Amino acid sequence: MATSTYLSNPVVTVNSIDLTDQCTAATFTHRFDQLESTAFGDTDRKYVKGLGNHEITLSLYMSYASSETYATLSTLVGTTTTVRVQPAAPPDSATNPGFILTGAFLAELPVINASMGELSTIDVTFVGGAYSVDTSA
Amino acid sequence: MKYIIKSPRVGTVGEVYEPQVWVNIGALLSGGFIEPADKENTDKPNTDKPKKAKVNKDKE
Repeated sequence: MATSTYLSNPVVTVNSIDLTDQCTAATFTHRFDQLESTAFGDTDRKYVKGLGNHEITLSLYMSYASSETYATLSTLVGTTTTVRVQPAAPPDSATNPGFILTGAFLAELPVINASMGELSTIDVTFVGGAYSVDTSA
Repeated sequence: MKYIIKSPRVGTVGEVYEPQVWVNIGALLSGGFIEPADKENTDKPNTDKPKKAKVNKDKE
């Protein structure tokens, strides 16, 4: 059975700041632009790999306390940084790879997402940057 | 340049932080997660004694 159950082990760092205890979901997409290369004579569409266009979306509890979510992200809006997501706590290995997006751009930060009687949460998306996988301890 | 860790989210507080090339140092500084190592010297209390007030001899 190919299943992965995430309980409490994943590790999330943004700009080397550990936000694991504020994060409830992470989606890291390794993606390339698809360029059509279909030509006369072809009977099916064909594609080739274009530029890398990777993306990480994190769901975080919003906290305005010192060293928490807002303090971490507010100074990164409009800049590039590195985000790292690992399925379980270190060390890195082939079965516990660290997925890294270096030079990822944070275009926007929802500074308020408030609902009566609920914990405030936000979704932030880092786009662009170089994708790499760390499997060595 | 050396930095001192101020937040446990970055590492052990008080230890020297060695930034990697991809880290946005400005964001870490403005967020209060680290501070320049040489800042500790400027934060030391001033131990110089206060200067004595000048006596106005004309009034005496």
